[in-house]
Amino acid sequence: MIQLLRIELYKIFKRPRTYISFGIVTAITTVIQVAMLSDGKSFLGFALQGINEQFDIHGNILNGYLVAYIILQSLLIHIPLLVALVAGDMLAGEANLGTLRLLLTRPVSRSQLVLVKFFASFLYTVLLIIWLAVVALFLSLLLFGKGDMINLKSDAFVMLLQGDVMWRYAAAFLFAILAMTTIAAMSLLLSAFADNSIGPIISTMGIVVVLTILSNLELPLFNLIKPYLFTTHMIGWKGFFDDPVPYAAIARSSIILVVYTVVFISATIVYFNKKDIRS
Amino acid sequence: MRRFCVFVLVIACCAVNGVRAAEASVLFESLRRKVLSVHDYTAEVKMNINVTYMRIPQLGGTLYYKAPDKMRLERHGGLSILPKKNINLTLSNLIPGGNVTVIEVGEATIGNKKVRVLKVIPEDEKSDIILTKIWVDEKDLVALRTETTTRNDGTVTMDLEYATYTAYCLPDKVTIYMDLKDYKLPKGVTMDYNDQPAPPKTTDKKNQKGTIKITYLKYNINTGISDSFFSKPEKK
Repeated sequence: MIQLLRIELYKIFKRPRTYISFGIVTAITTVIQVAMLSDGKSFLGFALQGINEQFDIHGNILNGYLVAYIILQSLLIHIPLLVALVAGDMLAGEANLGTLRLLLTRPVSRSQLVLVKFFASFLYTVLLIIWLAVVALFLSLLLFGKGDMINLKSDAFVMLLQGDVMWRYAAAFLFAILAMTTIAAMSLLLSAFADNSIGPIISTMGIVVVLTILSNLELPLFNLIKPYLFTTHMIGWKGFFDDPVPYAAIARSSIILVVYTVVFISATIVYFNKKDIRS
Repeated sequence: MRRFCVFVLVIACCAVNGVRAAEASVLFESLRRKVLSVHDYTAEVKMNINVTYMRIPQLGGTLYYKAPDKMRLERHGGLSILPKKNINLTLSNLIPGGNVTVIEVGEATIGNKKVRVLKVIPEDEKSDIILTKIWVDEKDLVALRTETTTRNDGTVTMDLEYATYTAYCLPDKVTIYMDLKDYKLPKGVTMDYNDQPAPPKTTDKKNQKGTIKITYLKYNINTGISDSFFSKPEKK
């Protein structure tokens, strides 16, 4: 299994496409940081309009913690795409290249192969989130400095003391890994259905975009299904920036994401075991 | 004879009222003189902001004040949040300056202290303060409560507790009740995590507006703070 995992990781990190993801994360992050450096104060002025009418806030509001939060919020849709770029290619890419049949002639079961490919996608996801933490959080702290963090919600203004922020980011990134692992699992399932990687990647994105819209629409019809959509729970990382932290809600979201991941992986194993592999 | 008695009674009532009004004015002027004797101070403070839509931890820092209206909270690298400048957190800002009309409206009890209640109306029509009601402890010559109605910022009520700095009319604890507008941002912009709890609702009418509690730990009075200090950017 370990040998197989090594081979899968070698395949992932040999492809230039893998590094495109890291490049895209760096590019988007840098663009937002430059925009914040040049025009962040007017952006903040707009966002804080309601508060500024009644309170004077002084100090380094536009600090690294806030900028990192803005970056993470903007990357909500992009990171699943980058995860799908690799996970969606895991089985479909092999089928496309005609190497899947050859691979299955090795003494490994199909279930083992699916699990190894999932684990390799998981490790890629972990590395991508760690890279995101480095460029979004640590680079922002370097550029904008430290300070108390503000978090603007639709009905509340939350302020967190600077000594109380770092653990929240650590927890938020761990939660992001969990959420992106669900995406990787879904992408792998879609990859099992296809014989080329474009289909699973686009399908993953389509599902994420449609479900994210459903999760954010304030309509009574959708309120019934919202709690069951994984996209509703993917933003659970934001809960760590509330005061008090809604641990029960975050735990519920984590369980739902784990259940989705297990269901996706199980479905992939069941389908892949029955699949007639012709390429 | 009957007409004469009524006339005397009216004159006597007017005289008593006049004396009471004069007494109230003297009391107010003495209080104002005492309050205005503090030209500036720095104080170590702890501040609790309790506003329904704000979740802010207790803020500690140094509060700088210079008469008549300069104030700055320094939090050694942290953010400082103060109500807008036209509602200042000091008693001297909530007591009207210039010529005023003082009316005594009765007596009351705050805690176990008997206080005289004065209504103060500024004669300057441009003044931001329309009316101030002051509960004065005559014995210590301090204001234990003020209720100030402003032109632009609604009504500000302030409860004051004194201990060490009574001689300067500087409180050790202040609770400010303020009128506040609603705060709302579109959910599409903030993309809230839906399961977060709603802000707690309070049953206390005063708290539905907004409360700021300030505890003053130590004052340095009349040390001479320059005006430029208040326009300096805060150190990061």
